[in-house]
Amino acid sequence: MKTFAELNFPGRLIAVEGLDGSGKSTQIYLLKRWLEQQELKVYFSEWNSSELVKAATSKGKKRELLTPTTFSLIHATDFADRYERHLVPLLRAGYIVLCDRYIFTAFARDVVRGCPPEWVRGLYNFAALPDMTFFFKADLEVSLQRILEGRPQLKYFEAGMDLRLSADPYESFRIFQGRMLEQYLAMSAEFRFVVMDANQLVEKQQGIVRELVAQRVKLDDFRRANHAPAPPVSKELPKRFKREEPEETVA
Amino acid sequence: MKPRNQILVPQPSRRRYYGYGIPGVDLSALAGKLIVVEGADGSGRSTQIALLVEWLEGGGHATVQVGLKRSTLVSEELEQAQEGNILSRTTLSLFYATDFADQLENIILPALKAGFIVLADRYIYTLMARDLVRGMDSTWLKNLYGIALEPDAVFYLNVPPEQLVQRTFAKNTALDYWESGMDLGLSRDMFDSFMKYQTAMHKTFRELQRTYDFTMVDGTRTADAINAELRKKISAVLAGK
Repeated sequence: MKTFAELNFPGRLIAVEGLDGSGKSTQIYLLKRWLEQQELKVYFSEWNSSELVKAATSKGKKRELLTPTTFSLIHATDFADRYERHLVPLLRAGYIVLCDRYIFTAFARDVVRGCPPEWVRGLYNFAALPDMTFFFKADLEVSLQRILEGRPQLKYFEAGMDLRLSADPYESFRIFQGRMLEQYLAMSAEFRFVVMDANQLVEKQQGIVRELVAQRVKLDDFRRANHAPAPPVSKELPKRFKREEPEETVA
Repeated sequence: MKPRNQILVPQPSRRRYYGYGIPGVDLSALAGKLIVVEGADGSGRSTQIALLVEWLEGGGHATVQVGLKRSTLVSEELEQAQEGNILSRTTLSLFYATDFADQLENIILPALKAGFIVLADRYIYTLMARDLVRGMDSTWLKNLYGIALEPDAVFYLNVPPEQLVQRTFAKNTALDYWESGMDLGLSRDMFDSFMKYQTAMHKTFRELQRTYDFTMVDGTRTADAINAELRKKISAVLAGK
């Protein structure tokens, strides 16, 4: 597998990975703001799936129809859709594309669910590797605390309930996240993750992220064309502070 | 068909997956048989399967039928995706694989475990051939469909494209967009495109045959003549030969 740079794409892809509650979304958002303010061509991939794939995935989840194999396949379908329709065109057009999670989430999650690692890797080998992957490594307890405090309702598959690890969703979630962390750490060297200490202050982490990105990506190559409008500042609350209607919950 | 009194109890098959398979399934517990009928639209697959069901049930065998785009999970969405032609290649390919996996795990494997004869109206080979014709990577496809169980018999109903066209028009008023490979841009003329596409599909099936060992059946004969050949071969499978 090669990176986008190695495949001579004019664009660059930067991904963040980590457990829920590791603070990765905050960090990638701040990276995006910094790049935007330098008037660079940057795009934050929001993972908007096409309606059809989304409908199938949500049906599968709501009705608990998914096995490890179909769970893996339907997420691969969803990823392929976003990859072909969204990421590749942006990278061809010379954007810095920021991804909150990439194929490594699937590698970790599907293997924890019992799919053969080589099969899962093979499934995703149509996708190029990110040019940089930051892995936010927080203590398991810290991540769990953040998630469990903020959002006491856990979704069935999110809690790994399908694995029958425990009848208690919270306990199941803990075991599941622990196993995810093991998988992430096991692939960290192979995929040259930049491992970030996510127990540090937000600003401290962001300082390191910006410095490394500036070192590794020739930012001057990504200037926006003259008079291209700057993207508007979003008023939206960060996800973790949102209070949404709970759906598909088991707790 | 005359009712029969003697019932043949099937012999166990040696089972394997083409690749990594489905985690956590005890293959030795699959007592039933998996019979696949492949072929283009208009090659007579559904007629043959209907005749086989009659014959098998008459012989005391329980049957289940599966086919492409029949899963609970994604069949509706897949149908819509095809109509709108909005998904790109890898996505559509994986969507079909999801449909297949859902039926494999929820119908085919449980039915085989319960001792049913499963009749599959197309299997992974059509899915692979379609993708190969569209230039997708064969190693990738082989890994993807490594989840599939090797069937006890695969029959490919071989009908030349010239005849497929005639049969299609005998049944429908128009050629199907996908069965004509119109998405490939082979020709703007639908008839030309159909002929080119079906020829390419046939060639790909021939190539797949080397790896997947299926029986080529001359599909230009009468339905009864074809069915007699299939019955003979399936009887041998049931007898464990």
